[in-house]
Amino acid sequence: MKEEVLFEISSLSRNPLKVKGFRFGREGTTPSCVIVGPMMGTAIDQLWIASQLVRFLRQHELANAAFVKGEILVIPTVNPYSFNMGKNFWPLDNTDIDVMFPGYDKGETTQRIASRLFEKTNNYDYAILLEARKDHVECIPYVEVLESGMSYIEDARAFGLDFIHVKEETPNDTVSLTYNWNVWNAKAFSLISGKKGILHKHEANKVFDAIVRFLVKKELIDFSTFEGSHGNLVMPNDVEAIKSSAAGLFDTLANIGDSVVHGQPLARIFNSLDGTLIQTIISPCDGIISCRYDYSLIFQNAIAYRIVKVESAQNNL
Amino acid sequence: MIEEVFNVNLPVNETLTLRRNRFSPEDISTSTKRISIVTGIHGDEIEGQYVCYLLAKWLNANQHCIKGIVDIYPSMNPMGIDSITRGFPFYDVDLNRNFPGNTADFLPAQVANAIVDTVRGSDFAIDIHASNIFLRELPQVRISRSTADELIPLAEKLDIEFIWVHDAVTVLESTFAHAMNSLGTKTLVVEMGVGMRITKEYGQSLTRGILNLLAHVGIIERAVLPMTKTTVSNLHSEVFFVNASKSGIFIPILEHNVTVLKGEKLGEIIDPLSGRIEETLISPCNGLLFTIREYPVVYEGSLLARILEDPKEDTAL
Repeated sequence: MKEEVLFEISSLSRNPLKVKGFRFGREGTTPSCVIVGPMMGTAIDQLWIASQLVRFLRQHELANAAFVKGEILVIPTVNPYSFNMGKNFWPLDNTDIDVMFPGYDKGETTQRIASRLFEKTNNYDYAILLEARKDHVECIPYVEVLESGMSYIEDARAFGLDFIHVKEETPNDTVSLTYNWNVWNAKAFSLISGKKGILHKHEANKVFDAIVRFLVKKELIDFSTFEGSHGNLVMPNDVEAIKSSAAGLFDTLANIGDSVVHGQPLARIFNSLDGTLIQTIISPCDGIISCRYDYSLIFQNAIAYRIVKVESAQNNL
Repeated sequence: MIEEVFNVNLPVNETLTLRRNRFSPEDISTSTKRISIVTGIHGDEIEGQYVCYLLAKWLNANQHCIKGIVDIYPSMNPMGIDSITRGFPFYDVDLNRNFPGNTADFLPAQVANAIVDTVRGSDFAIDIHASNIFLRELPQVRISRSTADELIPLAEKLDIEFIWVHDAVTVLESTFAHAMNSLGTKTLVVEMGVGMRITKEYGQSLTRGILNLLAHVGIIERAVLPMTKTTVSNLHSEVFFVNASKSGIFIPILEHNVTVLKGEKLGEIIDPLSGRIEETLISPCNGLLFTIREYPVVYEGSLLARILEDPKEDTAL
C-alpha cells in the first residue's frame, strides 16, 4: 500500500485540507478501480466503508503481495473540513463539491477541488462513488446507475446488492462525478446507503461486502466471498413515493427493507400540540420499503416512504 | 390583491405560504399581458424585497395606469429569508437548482413546482437576485447565449448598467429562469448588490427600469424613459475573472464600480499571523470593475473580482 496526498488546499486559519489516497497493487496496471468516499461531511456510513476498505486491503496485501491484481485507489473522503465541523457542504460557501465536475483548475475553490480530484481519478476501468442520499431519508443500500450507463448493468450486478436503480438524468447530474467518469469511459457506479449523521454499521457493512464482492468478480483481488443477490433492476416508474397528507410528529411503524402489503399501516402522524392522531399512512401496494423519511417531525406532502413495487421488479428481471 | 399561491402545513402549528400581490385592470381578456416579478428564491438575497416594495407602492398609487397584469412574488423561500439561509432550510438545498420541480419529490422540489405552476402563462418574468454574501455586484442582467437574441431587446428596456451574455452551463438548466424560458415566458435574471443587504440606489434604479419595461410592453401607461446605461458584454468585450491563488484575508484597494487599467493593483491577500502580503492582485485588462469581493476570508480559488473589458475596436473596419 502506498499512502499519498493527492492534493491539498491551504487555509488561513486551519491545517491545509489534504485529500489522501491509498493505492494498492501496481500503478498503471489493469484492471483498475478507484473508490471515492463522501464529499458530504455528514456521510458517516460512507467514511466508515471507505476506511474499512483501506484496512481490509492493507491487511491482505501485507499477507500476500499478489493479493491485488491490477490497481486499486481508495480516497476515503474529499472533504475532511466539513466532517470536522458536522457540515454537509464546503464550509465557507456551503457549495456541494459534487455539482462541480469535471471541475475547473482556474475557477472557484470547489471547482479546483473537483478538477484535482477528477484529474487523479478519470483513468480507471471502474469507478465507485460512496454516497449518502441528499434528502432526509435512510435507505437500504443500492447501486445507482445513470441512464447513460445502462450498457453496464451486468457489471452493476457484480456488487450483489438487492437493487440497481436506474436514474433518469437531470441537468444537475451532468455536473456530478459519476456522470463525468462515464463520459471519460469508466464504468461508474454510485453506491448509496444509510442515513446522514450516524453510523449504521449493519447497512454500511453490506456496502463494504458489496465492494469486496465486486473487486473479486472483476478480478481485482484474489479472495473468496459469498455470492450476493442477482440485483433487481429498478426503473424510475417502479418506485412508489408515498407522501404524508398531514404534518406533525412522525411515528414510523415500518422500516427499510421490510416487505409490506397493500393496505398495511406504515406510519402514524400525530398533531404536535394536542397529540391527536391525524393520519395513518397506508401502503398503496405490495413491495419492499427502499427509503424511509428519517426525522421525527414531518411536513405535509413530505415523502414518507419509497416502496419498490413487487410486480415492477419482477418484470425487470 | 394579495393571494396565496401555495400552502403546506409545517409540523408544529404553522403553514408555509407563498404569496403574490396581483395588480390588474378591471377588464381582463386573453390578450391582456402579464408579468411576474419574482424574488427571494435565495433566502439571503434581500435586494429584491426593496424593489417589490417600490413597485407595489407605485402601482398602488397609479392604478389608473395599469393596463396589464403585474404579479409580485417577494418571498419564494420564506424560511430561508427568515433564517438568513441561501438554500431551503432543513433540506440544505439550493431552490434555484431544483426547477422545474416535481410534486412527487421533497419539499423544495414541490415549492419549485408550485412557483413554476403559478408563474406559467406569464408573458414576461423577472427573477431578482442579490449577489451572495461574498460578492458585491453592479446591477446586471444575465442571459445565456441560447436565449440572447430574444431577451437582449427586452433587457435593454431595464436601462440597467450592463447585460452579461454568458455561456450557460448545464446546471443552469435547473434554474427558475431556464424553466420559465423553456415554457415560453421570457424571463430575465437580474443580479445586483450584495447578500444580506439592501442597496437603495440600486433598488430605486431597477424599479424605474422595470416601470420602463412595463411601459414598453404595454402593461402600464407611462412615458418611456430614454436609455442611458446599458452595455452588452460578449459582443465587443469580455468578462475577466480574478481568483485568489492563496488563502488569506482579502483587502481591496479600489472601490466597486470604477474603471481600472491593465496592470493596476486591485487588492492584496494578507496573512494576519505573519504580517506578510501573500498575493497582490493585478487587473488583467482595462475595464469596469463590476464585481468585487465583499467577504474578506478567501481560499485558493475564491472569486475576488470581475472586470468587464473595455469594448474592443472592430478590427474588420
